[in-house]
Amino acid sequence: MDSGPLAVRLAVRQCINTLSTSRDITEVTEALRTAGRYLSGTEDDPPACQREEFARTHYTRLLQFLTSNLNAHWLELLTPEQHMDLWVSLFLNGPPDQVLLVLLDCVNSCSLSSGLERSLDVLEYFLQRGRLSALLWATCQGPPPANSPQLRDALLSRLVALPDLLANRLQEHTRPAFQPLHYYPLLARELSVALERTCQALRDGVDCSLCFVAQLLGKACVQGHGKEMFGVLVPRLSALTQSDFVWKRVCWQLVESVPERWMEGVVSGLVQTVDGSAALSSLLGNVVLKNKKAQFVITNKLLLLQYKYKTPMLQSLLGYLAQDRGRRPLLIQVLKALCGTWSSCSAVKHSPIEQQLYISKALLICLGLLRDSEVLEHREELLQCMLSGMQCHLESSIPRVHRLGMVVGESLSARLDPGGTRLQFQYELDTETKELLSLLSPPPAHQQPPETLPPDSRTEPPPKSPSSEREEGKAGVPAARPIKQHSSDSELDSDDELTPYDMTRDGELGGALAPRYIRDCLEALTSSEDPGKVEVSLGAAEGLIKKNPAATREVSVELVKVLLHLEDRFNTQGFLRLRQRAMVSLTVTDTLAVTGYLTTEFYSLNYSLRQRLDILEVLALAAQDLSQPTSANSAPSSHKPPPLIQPVSTETAPDLQGTAQHWRQVVDQRIESKTRRFGKGAPRTGSSASPSRFAPVAGCFFFPLLSNYDRPQVTFDLLGSDHLVLGRLVHTLGVLMYFAVNAPVATQMGKALLDFVWAIRYHTDPVVRQGVLFAVSAVLLSVPNERMFLELSDEMLEARAWLGDVAEADPDADCRGLAEQSLLLLEKILKKSIGSPSPLGPNGQALQL
Amino acid sequence: MLLYYSFSTDGMSYAVFYSAPPSFSTGPLLSLSQFGFYVRPWREWKAAMALPLPDPQFVLRGTGAPVNTLHFCCRNQEQDKPLLFSGSANGAVHVWNLRTRRTESVLEGHGGASVLWVQTLNSRDALISQGRDLRVCMWDLAEGRSVVTDSILTESVGFCQCSLLDREGGHWLLAVPGADMAAVRVLDLPSKTPVCTLKPDANLGMPMCLKLWQPDSGSSPLLWAGYEDGSVSLWNLSERSLLSRLACHAEPVMSLDFDPGKLRGVSGSSEKAINSWTLDGQQSLKLQDSVELVNPGISHLCIREDRRILATAGWDHRIRLLGWKKLKPLAVLQYHTDVVQCVAFSDHDVPNKRLMAAGSKDQRISFWSVYNQI
Repeated sequence: MDSGPLAVRLAVRQCINTLSTSRDITEVTEALRTAGRYLSGTEDDPPACQREEFARTHYTRLLQFLTSNLNAHWLELLTPEQHMDLWVSLFLNGPPDQVLLVLLDCVNSCSLSSGLERSLDVLEYFLQRGRLSALLWATCQGPPPANSPQLRDALLSRLVALPDLLANRLQEHTRPAFQPLHYYPLLARELSVALERTCQALRDGVDCSLCFVAQLLGKACVQGHGKEMFGVLVPRLSALTQSDFVWKRVCWQLVESVPERWMEGVVSGLVQTVDGSAALSSLLGNVVLKNKKAQFVITNKLLLLQYKYKTPMLQSLLGYLAQDRGRRPLLIQVLKALCGTWSSCSAVKHSPIEQQLYISKALLICLGLLRDSEVLEHREELLQCMLSGMQCHLESSIPRVHRLGMVVGESLSARLDPGGTRLQFQYELDTETKELLSLLSPPPAHQQPPETLPPDSRTEPPPKSPSSEREEGKAGVPAARPIKQHSSDSELDSDDELTPYDMTRDGELGGALAPRYIRDCLEALTSSEDPGKVEVSLGAAEGLIKKNPAATREVSVELVKVLLHLEDRFNTQGFLRLRQRAMVSLTVTDTLAVTGYLTTEFYSLNYSLRQRLDILEVLALAAQDLSQPTSANSAPSSHKPPPLIQPVSTETAPDLQGTAQHWRQVVDQRIESKTRRFGKGAPRTGSSASPSRFAPVAGCFFFPLLSNYDRPQVTFDLLGSDHLVLGRLVHTLGVLMYFAVNAPVATQMGKALLDFVWAIRYHTDPVVRQGVLFAVSAVLLSVPNERMFLELSDEMLEARAWLGDVAEADPDADCRGLAEQSLLLLEKILKKSIGSPSPLGPNGQALQL
Repeated sequence: MLLYYSFSTDGMSYAVFYSAPPSFSTGPLLSLSQFGFYVRPWREWKAAMALPLPDPQFVLRGTGAPVNTLHFCCRNQEQDKPLLFSGSANGAVHVWNLRTRRTESVLEGHGGASVLWVQTLNSRDALISQGRDLRVCMWDLAEGRSVVTDSILTESVGFCQCSLLDREGGHWLLAVPGADMAAVRVLDLPSKTPVCTLKPDANLGMPMCLKLWQPDSGSSPLLWAGYEDGSVSLWNLSERSLLSRLACHAEPVMSLDFDPGKLRGVSGSSEKAINSWTLDGQQSLKLQDSVELVNPGISHLCIREDRRILATAGWDHRIRLLGWKKLKPLAVLQYHTDVVQCVAFSDHDVPNKRLMAAGSKDQRISFWSVYNQI
């Protein structure tokens, strides 16, 4: 019937002519109705072949005509019903791909006008009426038409980028329906509708193609809309795929048809959204075996390269690998890769702690999923991994890495030799370790997706377990007690006949008497075997040292030696703190002798690392004590200059020298207590200036510590394996530097310190690097600015470049932060010294030890 | 200062005083007016009026060794002199005359091994003593004699004291810690025939203290035992069964006492707490109350015969008195300079002549007169 195409063409042309020329509303409506009949005619009025012809060749032209005549006068003449029935329906009933393309073109080309509004209205109708699903379903039907790849590409990019296109055109006038938050969930819903129709068609034995839909999904994911899409898609799909095999096949096909370049987005998006390994398995199928890219993403990228994902994702991902016999080898492969990373020294040293935690978690989950036979099969490799990995982790100076190593090592050894000997460490059970240990027992694989649960089962309070009831039953006995007590309360007076005696003297039983003299204290500490006496002596040491500085100076070195070697034989409470305070006050009291002793002992033979760390801590704390301004209690009437060394605070022990209280003070206090002031402002705290006690002795603390660092001893190799001490040393030097602010010797100290840290600034241990960065900021804070630029300008320039480097590239987050701060400090100093030549001391800066 | 009147409001009693502020004005005083009226909460006022601590009535020295155990024998003092038996660590049992406050005689029967426990059998002429030479000796003290008439081998090397129960017809039951570390033997005296051996199934450790008890209703005597693991158990002697067990301490039970009238007992351990427990109709034990102490360690405790006060001997050198009804702390007596090992109340016929004695490691025995006025 060759008259068909001709008739259609004639009708369409006539229609367009009428619409473009006619001014009569009845003619216009008649023309629109004619055109509409080709789309939604009820009977065989236009024959089917004519309708097809219309849709194929004339529809786009008609639409283009309509959209180019959005401001036509007759549009205003139509009643709202006519507008909807005749005009809008022309857009909603035709092939949706053509409509979408024409509308978007129109929106793009149209200027802001009522016409644009009209086209947007139509587009909104288009989205609301589910035309997208019709579009997607149309692409699923049958084999893809070979002739129009460009058309498909255009359609694909417009569909995915619709919010962007509209936002580009409309700027801030874009409508809510076109915003990504609304559009992508809508798209996902329409996609699932299309998939549902696909399933139906498959059941009816019709072939379908998921190519376009998969491309759409992939492209949306790769453009960063995976979260919105999967947020809608995944719950539906996982509920549907649970039992229905056709759905499963459709999902697998969908994932497999995603083009290679977009595979990663889809897979990682899915893995992140899906809850539980069973659901993941029914959604992904065996794509990991069929698609190289998917395999790479799942077995490598998500596990070894990225570490931002949450633990449940790891669990479902690894559980997915473990579920199927075909995928099991991949689990082993992943386990080996994880083992390799976990036991690699370089990874432990250079990768951020978060990544190490992530890898440890993955490793533990893998271990939990492994079967006993598989463990036996790969025992050798696991053992090797455990041995080398344990060593790397235990060598690290970061406690968290230690703990990670211990937890994983313990679990590995327990898995390798379930009955036999196993590693056992002592560590605190904090939330992190508990979480890690809990990962060993895999979660139930067949989790019910939440949709299938009855909704109110979640809100109901959990039923009372019999045990809790039993507990309440137990509590019944004490519960009866208050009543009984109450009844006996009524007898209060009868019991009151027994008048209590004065019981105020019932105090804690004091043990041995505290020593009164520093020599007694020393003797007790060296030779006593009585725990109480040692304890009391240790507690009294600090007070004794401060009370009589002259006597202390006679025995200071001996006492500090005893304290340094003192062991906690009796498990004294607060032993470390007491010992440290005593040593600090000794250092403060007799600075020259004690620092001389401590700094030489720091580098001598036969000390444990703990003792060396103690020395450093004592030096730092003593420096802090010395640098603090003394309490202004040193009586102003006595005009003697404050001695170089004096008790840190005379205020703290007023009762010790109550008799020595100056009469003047007593009188002043009385007058003060009897005086009433009106309109008294803020209390005047006239902080009187006093010379720093640390400035003259700073060198004694500082330079001996710097002198011997590169001479390794048999038991102590600072630049080698003892990097924990090195880190502490650098940090302590930084602290000393900081407290030496305003001291004349500060510049020399800063120079020496910079020289020293320069050699170790790229140390592999983050603790050392943190120490170095801290030391550098201390130098920046303490050395007077003008001196710095006179004498240290080269170093500063180098340091600036290096700091920038560290702030960007260091794997340790603390290092990066410290470097940024130092950099800021440096910039500030630079700016200040360029702006005003009179630099200020950094007195206001707070520093934490 | 005069008590002007007292009133009570907000559930609190107040007393209004007239005249100058009292000399013990430690608490905040509220001036009613300028005429010298003062109001203070009644309880505070009572606390401020608390009695000063008493001193010991007298002290006996001369045992020459730490005093381990004390036993009064003061009945019929019209005819006889009041006596106190003390057992000390050098193996001697001293017999003190409380009228002259001097030693009547010293009994040396344990070969220098520490005496753990002494008790009279019915009259002052028959004494039983337990020593760490693994023997329990029976003494005849009548008419100035001091002879060991009989002895039993206990085979127990622990520090657990025996317990004696008087049964009618000149028979006694003696509970002795057994040779097997966990067991308790019960013997019939004077025949020395074994009645039963009680050994718990669970591992409770050694028995630390024993107390035999004859309930009024039942014919079968019962035994209280405190064990090393901190639990207190009640045994039925005729059925040889454990009636009830209560884990009331985390540390070994050092001493326990039981008040048959209220079916309520008390136990002390090396912890910082004294616990009291009750026995209900189903013969099961329940923890009732607990008193926190300042210093840990109770070596001995004892309820007075009139069941009004409880005395404890503490490792902190102090004797504590508590009201037995509610375990209300009443007094902390300080005299001794070393661990107090035992306390005992005298059995004077006249209540207000009753004394409390405490023996300590510092080799002294102190005597106190407390809460004797009704």
